[in-house]
Amino acid sequence: MNPVAGIGLRSPHLAEIGRERPATGFLEIHAENYLAGSPALQAVERLRADYAFSIHAVGLSLGSVDGLDAAHLARVAALVKRLEPAFVSDHLSWSTGGGRYFNDLLPLPYTEEALEVVVGNVGRLQDAMGRQVSIENPSCYLGFAQSTLSEPAFLSELVRRSGCGLLLDPNNIVVTAHNLRLDPRDWLTGLPSAAITEYHLAGHATNDADGEPILIDDHGSRVSDGVWALFAEVVKRFGARPTLIEWDADIPPLGVLLEEAARADGVIETTLAAGDRDAARAA
Amino acid sequence: MPLALRDLQAAFAAHIVGADRADLVAAVAGDTIPAAARLGVYRHQVFESLGTALAATFPTVQALVGTAFFRGLARAFVRHALPQQPVLAEYGGDFPAFVAGYEAARDLPYLADVARLDWALNVAFQAQLGERLQVTDLSLLPAERLPSTSISWAAGVVLVSSPYPLDRIWEASQPGAASDAVDLNLGGSNLLVLRRSDDAFFVSLSAGEAAFMAALARGMSLEQSAGAAFEADPDFELSTSFARLLAWGAFAALQ
Repeated sequence: MNPVAGIGLRSPHLAEIGRERPATGFLEIHAENYLAGSPALQAVERLRADYAFSIHAVGLSLGSVDGLDAAHLARVAALVKRLEPAFVSDHLSWSTGGGRYFNDLLPLPYTEEALEVVVGNVGRLQDAMGRQVSIENPSCYLGFAQSTLSEPAFLSELVRRSGCGLLLDPNNIVVTAHNLRLDPRDWLTGLPSAAITEYHLAGHATNDADGEPILIDDHGSRVSDGVWALFAEVVKRFGARPTLIEWDADIPPLGVLLEEAARADGVIETTLAAGDRDAARAA
Repeated sequence: MPLALRDLQAAFAAHIVGADRADLVAAVAGDTIPAAARLGVYRHQVFESLGTALAATFPTVQALVGTAFFRGLARAFVRHALPQQPVLAEYGGDFPAFVAGYEAARDLPYLADVARLDWALNVAFQAQLGERLQVTDLSLLPAERLPSTSISWAAGVVLVSSPYPLDRIWEASQPGAASDAVDLNLGGSNLLVLRRSDDAFFVSLSAGEAAFMAALARGMSLEQSAGAAFEADPDFELSTSFARLLAWGAFAALQ
């Protein structure tokens, strides 16, 4: 089977990927790291002929009540035009306010008011890109008492109203579910399967919050067993999608990312094969 | 009472970089992990991630002061000035000035200039590899017009002048440097920072060359700029220095 899973392209691996051209489903870059004219952008352009790309933005701040930053939006749109990636995505979160950028995926209350803000921002983003953009479920460390919708219900309604895609991150589901005392399998119920365009997988850490464990989405280790198990459940329910291994802190040798991507391909393959066997038995 | 989204985001922003906001804490669903501790995760991540970004942009400063001191310095700067946009390579232009006024670094008077050098290397690295003046461009110009012509700097070129030997300090703080002892009485430095195909680098200029480049940057003609260079450095030799600067790719185009 050809690899479906890809890896996040990180600067320590750039030269090696350029030299070795390893087989991988696709490469994903963070938009905000390629908006200037640095040699990294030229390296990516050289790889563009051999790899499918995904552009993952982290700073569009789609949940911002102030709306989108026009200058930043234009820069990301220009990069998308230049690289013509297979996917474009950002998160269900906000990160700017009052002209300041916090460099973190800050949480939203899941209310009708917030939904209208995000629908408006995603619509403006998709108009600027001239294409569908996928929105990723974030890792949450808190919930707001005033939320009236669950996170998956909010995302489903966002898809319905804006026509965006969903980037489903099972690691973020595990992190959020643990931190907010939810059941990760319940979280999957009712999602619009047809809108799901991509999966993300990454490692998380366990920290201490006033004597209690809290999971932190640090992208600094291998994917955990619990996340692999939920990923298999996701593939069983929604089918195979391009799947990404993300690693952003304590970045290991390239081979480790490729191993994790191969494991993701293996999970997809065995889950689909088991599904086929079940279907054959039922017939 | 639920907070309007605008008020909630303003309270969140104020909470992250300032004191705890009671209205925000009350809006967070707390349980055995209190709301304030949950909010603390975000506050920690904002400061840590921006500190990591500053360390990537100012590696020589961090090498000189160590990671623990740098973390405190970065926290103070983040509190002083958050990024105004999401491209982190463009965050920290005010950091050298902040370092200059940072009380705990008063014993390291050269640290702010080192920060300026790190920032210049970052600016050069992020610059477009744009137009460069070639020898052939000069030959196309009638000789009598040359003295009154000015020349623009290539994109990303920065001149960093300091009363300290910045090049020696930079070399000594590189990983694997033979020695980390630098005689601060070696005198000042004029470093020209430039972008080349795969990275950014700097070269050491004479006082005359630095004055020459500075005059060109002010839009002065070649003749006027050479005059400024002779004034700064009687040993300045125009043809030798001009050839050096041209070969490094310091110039963009004739003006």
